Amino acid sequence: MSVSREEVLRIAQLAELDVEEEAWPDLVAQMSRIIDYVAQLSAVPANGGLRPFVPGPDAIRFRVDEVTPSGLAFGPDEFAPDFKEGFFVVPKLGQFE
Amino acid sequence: MSDAKAVADRLVKAKRLNALLTPPKDLRKSLNAQAAAARPTGVLYGMPVAVKDNICTLEFTTTCGSRILEGYRSPYEATAVVKLKAAGALIAGKTNCDEFAMGSSTEHSAYGRVLHPLDKTRVPGGSSGGSAALVAAGAVPAALGSETGGSVRQPAAFCGVVGMKPTYGRVSRYGLVAFGSSLDQIGVFGRSVHDAARVLSVISGRDPRDSTCEDRDPLRLPTVPESLQGFVIGLPREYFPPELDPAVRRACDGAIRLMKELGAAVREVSLPHTPYAVPTYYVIAPAEASSNLARYDGVRYGPRFDGAVDLRGLYRATRGQGFGPEVRRRILVGTYVLSSGYYDAYYKRAQQMRALIAQDFRNVFDRGVDLLFTPTVPSPAFKAGEKLSDPIAMYMSDIFTVTANLAGLPAMSLPIGRIKGLPIGGQLIGQAFLEDEMIEAAYALERVVPATDEV
Repeated sequence: MSVSREEVLRIAQLAELDVEEEAWPDLVAQMSRIIDYVAQLSAVPANGGLRPFVPGPDAIRFRVDEVTPSGLAFGPDEFAPDFKEGFFVVPKLGQFE
Repeated sequence: MSDAKAVADRLVKAKRLNALLTPPKDLRKSLNAQAAAARPTGVLYGMPVAVKDNICTLEFTTTCGSRILEGYRSPYEATAVVKLKAAGALIAGKTNCDEFAMGSSTEHSAYGRVLHPLDKTRVPGGSSGGSAALVAAGAVPAALGSETGGSVRQPAAFCGVVGMKPTYGRVSRYGLVAFGSSLDQIGVFGRSVHDAARVLSVISGRDPRDSTCEDRDPLRLPTVPESLQGFVIGLPREYFPPELDPAVRRACDGAIRLMKELGAAVREVSLPHTPYAVPTYYVIAPAEASSNLARYDGVRYGPRFDGAVDLRGLYRATRGQGFGPEVRRRILVGTYVLSSGYYDAYYKRAQQMRALIAQDFRNVFDRGVDLLFTPTVPSPAFKAGEKLSDPIAMYMSDIFTVTANLAGLPAMSLPIGRIKGLPIGGQLIGQAFLEDEMIEAAYALERVVPATDEV
């Protein structure tokens, strides 16, 4: 296993994902398999001078800095799980470790 | 102009495929309203076009095949959808897909797998499997899909229809739910090259709402050529490995012979970094996905999975229960390769490899090759469940398609034969923004290739 259960647990915390107990063994095995597989990239000599390839326009086009209407057909009160008086309602923050 | 009722009837008839997520009642109601409002002068007047469920529509829910967006209704519609409607097309419901477009078999949908229209024990490919299946079943002449690593071309090949992915930046992505932003493009399925091409032409062109969409006029459709005289077609040797399925090879050999007979000059070329394309893709796409999918947290859209006492618990419970196994796996892989200590070893290395893969294509095109021809997928449609337990085996079915996404190039699949009744696809890869040349060659090949014959 190239990735340990502890590492996957740490990553799951970073990604804010709960994983149920019974899913752990498969998840750790599959993560290891995927990470081993993509690790073949490190066999290729690094070329630090190579510019990363990004498709699309060479430069970001800036638009005129003016407020345009949002064009939304309806507001968040119709699609948010809990929305009151202009705010998304959430539980209290709690303790962040 | 097709009658709204007839359109709905055809779609409802294909129900057993589980390809459509829109309930029949909603579909009929909307199609009636759309038909009454459609512009009779539009170039697609009355043409029903089904839309993959990761493209926002006002009339139907947009769930991306995920529980985390169950019942979600978008407050705006995608530019591609706006353009289709303006051309008189009817939005013929939302199609089932792998959750957030992550998958190659449409088995990773929270709403059940899509059946292959010719063999229900097999998969239709993915992630746009619902769109491909509906076109193949004759329920609609065209459908929208999306591509991050081959999600239009691969299911098109499996189902025996035409699938086109335009150049990155050709079609606006406003309203396409983001997965891998440096790779994503909206693509098109059609019964024929012409059906797909005319839909692509309508949805292409500039959009002030998407800064990655190039400032260009819509794609102009070429005429059907008499021959392929003057075309230089490259056959990349890395796409014809010894282990290639013999039937796929026979179908490709047949298509190559026909292109030669039509006057094309055919030559072998090399894209040496191809073996690294899949690992490169499976670093870059999950990395981008882990960041794009951070927005689904039970606060702003979709259902909230309760039981949490604080905000962080809400995030974790909603994301843990709302995302399926493949999406969860990719978010974790993406978070891992971006995390401190691993970034250089994986993400940075993948970015460098991507540059080399793009350079491979430039080298070939700079030497006078107009188009590349390859198999779309190494084998015909596989059995449902066959690759579910092994993510790498599933990823390998993208081996011939991910390169065009990594390099931002236009590419398409068209049917070139069958083996034991299952379709085989041939792929054309073009130069950036030269979709017209690719479509021209496809028109010519489509006219002569025995697409439904056994090879």
